[in-house]
Amino acid sequence: MQFQSFDQPYLERLRAGDYRAQEHFGAYFSALIQIKLRSRLKSPEAIEDVRQETFARFFLALREGKILQPERLGSFVNSICNNVLLEHYRAGSRSSSLDDDEQKDIPAKGLDLLTLLAAKETQEKVREILEMLSERDRRLLREVFLEERDKDEVCRDFGIDRDYLRVLLHRAKQSFKSLYLKDTGNDEPAFTSA
Amino acid sequence: MDHEVVVRRKMTESYLLGELDPAAREEFEAHFFECVDCALDVRTGSLFVEQSKILLAAKPGPVAVDSRPPIPVASKPGWLAWLGPALTVPVMALLLVVVGYQNLVTYPQLEQAMNRPRVLPFAAVNLGTYGSGDQVISVGPEQGFLLMVRIPPDSYPRHTADLYNAAGKLEWSLTFPSLSTGTQDQWPLQVPGAKREAGSYSLIVHGLADSGESKEVGRTSFELQIQK
Repeated sequence: MQFQSFDQPYLERLRAGDYRAQEHFGAYFSALIQIKLRSRLKSPEAIEDVRQETFARFFLALREGKILQPERLGSFVNSICNNVLLEHYRAGSRSSSLDDDEQKDIPAKGLDLLTLLAAKETQEKVREILEMLSERDRRLLREVFLEERDKDEVCRDFGIDRDYLRVLLHRAKQSFKSLYLKDTGNDEPAFTSA
Repeated sequence: MDHEVVVRRKMTESYLLGELDPAAREEFEAHFFECVDCALDVRTGSLFVEQSKILLAAKPGPVAVDSRPPIPVASKPGWLAWLGPALTVPVMALLLVVVGYQNLVTYPQLEQAMNRPRVLPFAAVNLGTYGSGDQVISVGPEQGFLLMVRIPPDSYPRHTADLYNAAGKLEWSLTFPSLSTGTQDQWPLQVPGAKREAGSYSLIVHGLADSGESKEVGRTSFELQIQK
């Protein structure tokens, strides 16, 4: 997914139904909305409902000419998403708060072959990064992300502080990002199941 | 939210680690929805975390994720652990004593009682005829008795007698052949001794055809009294 600036021409292309613009918009904001909602809603269906409603309201506002600041497109989408989420909470069905522990992971669905191949390549790159880490750091990531242990407890067990955890994740993330962007010619990663 | 501050404070990492309070989280989200650099950072980091979880969870994966020596854990006793010698030996000894007592004392007494001539309490009951149901049998505790059952002549080759106790529960069922001569219409049924409650007992008799068809031919009841 190539970088595109959010400006008036982009907005015009969206309004005109330009396929590439709409595809970019959908992929870009779907990923962000999913990341945002994953810690708030427990079911993939609920996340998908909120995402679709957010997009529906956005395109309605676009058609009605209500988007006055194209450069603040992201903020506009985020605001719509917040409103839809609040309504979803109020409706009380199929939603849950942060306290829900179940099904935080959203499974990939409806993936085509190219998407699967891209996911496989992504996984290989993450594997490379993980193998570059020390055994101790891999254990650290495992206990924090996979086993979801209390972070303070993990830090105590490993004799580190929370800054170490942030720096470890930062370095791993930066390595992955540079590896990924280098191999894909500065394309942004294709997010499939985040 | 200032982008430089976000970078300096490693807000992306804090966000992915779930360290931000709700207000800071919403503020950061508002920022990365608008800031393409931070959006890329969050998306890359999120993807890395998700894929790491998959790889670190895969046991046979090439990433050796856990080389810690296994912590010795006391193995949990299985459900058969109670069959250890500490319990088995005394139980076996107790069983030997019980079996010995039965063979040397209880069974000889029972055998002697069985072989001894005696008169059993009895009642003559007629199936479905006038006057049935007013018979009384008085027995000792757990003592057996006889029922002289009169069955009206019919063509069934076999009959089944079902005895229902005072609570209406089937106590036993007995199938017996009808005599080919057809002259007998009364059958003595020995009801074995058992712990019974006093009350009204019922006997229901069915005729069984060779085809397997079964039909009730009559029923009667009697009053059982238990002597104190």
